[in-house]
Amino acid sequence: MKEIDARGLRCPQPIIELGKEVSFMQAGDQVMLHSDDPATEPDLVAWSRMTGNVFDKKSQDSFVITKLSVR
Amino acid sequence: MVRVTGNFQSESTLHPKAFDVLHAAFDNGWADPAKLSQSGAKARQLKNNALESISTSLSVEVDSILPVSPTSLGYFLGVQGLFLDSSTLIHGATDRKDVFAVAAKIPHHVLKSALNGRFIPTDVATKNLVLALQIANAETGVIQECDAIIASTQSERIFLDATTSGIRVPLPDQFSTALFDSKSWYGPAELGILIVKKHSHWSNPLPHINAAHPNFDVSLPLLLASAVALENFSTEVEGANTQARTFNQNLRSKFSQVSDADIAGSLDTSLAHMLSVSFLNCNGEELLRAIESDGYSVDSGSACTADNLQPSHVLSAMGVLTHGNIRLTIHPGTTQADIDGLSASVIKNVNALRQ
Repeated sequence: MKEIDARGLRCPQPIIELGKEVSFMQAGDQVMLHSDDPATEPDLVAWSRMTGNVFDKKSQDSFVITKLSVR
Repeated sequence: MVRVTGNFQSESTLHPKAFDVLHAAFDNGWADPAKLSQSGAKARQLKNNALESISTSLSVEVDSILPVSPTSLGYFLGVQGLFLDSSTLIHGATDRKDVFAVAAKIPHHVLKSALNGRFIPTDVATKNLVLALQIANAETGVIQECDAIIASTQSERIFLDATTSGIRVPLPDQFSTALFDSKSWYGPAELGILIVKKHSHWSNPLPHINAAHPNFDVSLPLLLASAVALENFSTEVEGANTQARTFNQNLRSKFSQVSDADIAGSLDTSLAHMLSVSFLNCNGEELLRAIESDGYSVDSGSACTADNLQPSHVLSAMGVLTHGNIRLTIHPGTTQADIDGLSASVIKNVNALRQ
């Protein structure tokens, strides 16, 4: 699984980095996002709803995102 | 630098009628209304007139009105004053931080927010519940279904936060205390109007010696100015809401055409003069500054614009995007040209920042 290390980056950069990576992924692919920005988790909730993808929180600053949509 | 001509921040200038009376209010209302002197009697008369006027405008009893300053003190007085030793506080996830501050020191339960900004009613199997309920949210303008929440909690002691809704939304019948913010009717800032409807439910939580005389008060001239602003805005509010709704619909329509725009709450269930929208992959601070440089002042709930770098707890609780956020307040006097200019600036700058 590919990993994005966005620790130290502030919003909206972690979500922008995630969006770039996801745009190259196929449906069903996963990516691990590491981010310690306090806005990342609430923004992942909104981002998932808006883009049709899902995420799973693995630790305080690690999230696995699964691409579901073709966007 | 472009001169800012469009103010869409939550703060605004005083109501012109309030501004007109301010000088005379300071000239005549400088004395202590509690003193027996001639000037004290004059100040007392002015204070009584102001309270009578506020009572009429808010449709509450005169003896239920306790002016407080700063407004944030009213949260402590209004909520904590309803508390018994065995009480539990229930409040909403999108309440003002002032309510969270009171809740931090007492047993409490938080009502979650749905995506539309409305609280999800829940059964709390606890006696002696104190309910703190916002009528409308300060960031999104979403109006709560107050009667349904009150019915679901079955609480007898109810604090209503009317600081944002002001006189734009009627108070529910059932409440113990309610807090208004003078700013909501374009009166002076940092002046709150606490209503204690049920004196049997409330006791002054501040250290005090005589329960009959509250040990907090406000500047009389500012209270007079607030009463004048309220009296005048009461006659204007319907027209202001109608105009704001048209402008708000216009803005929502334009923003919803921008890809990945996340608008918080629907206009049908929100205050007509408020709008919060977030744009995916935009930096809120950069967006705010770019719009300002085009001549429009707006607010933002994005973490990068906050002192503590925390995202808006309101947007987080709703599940709305917190970055790339701007908050707009449509004040009386806003023109169609302001709306057109603002929407053009927002769309232009969102597109530019995304590249």
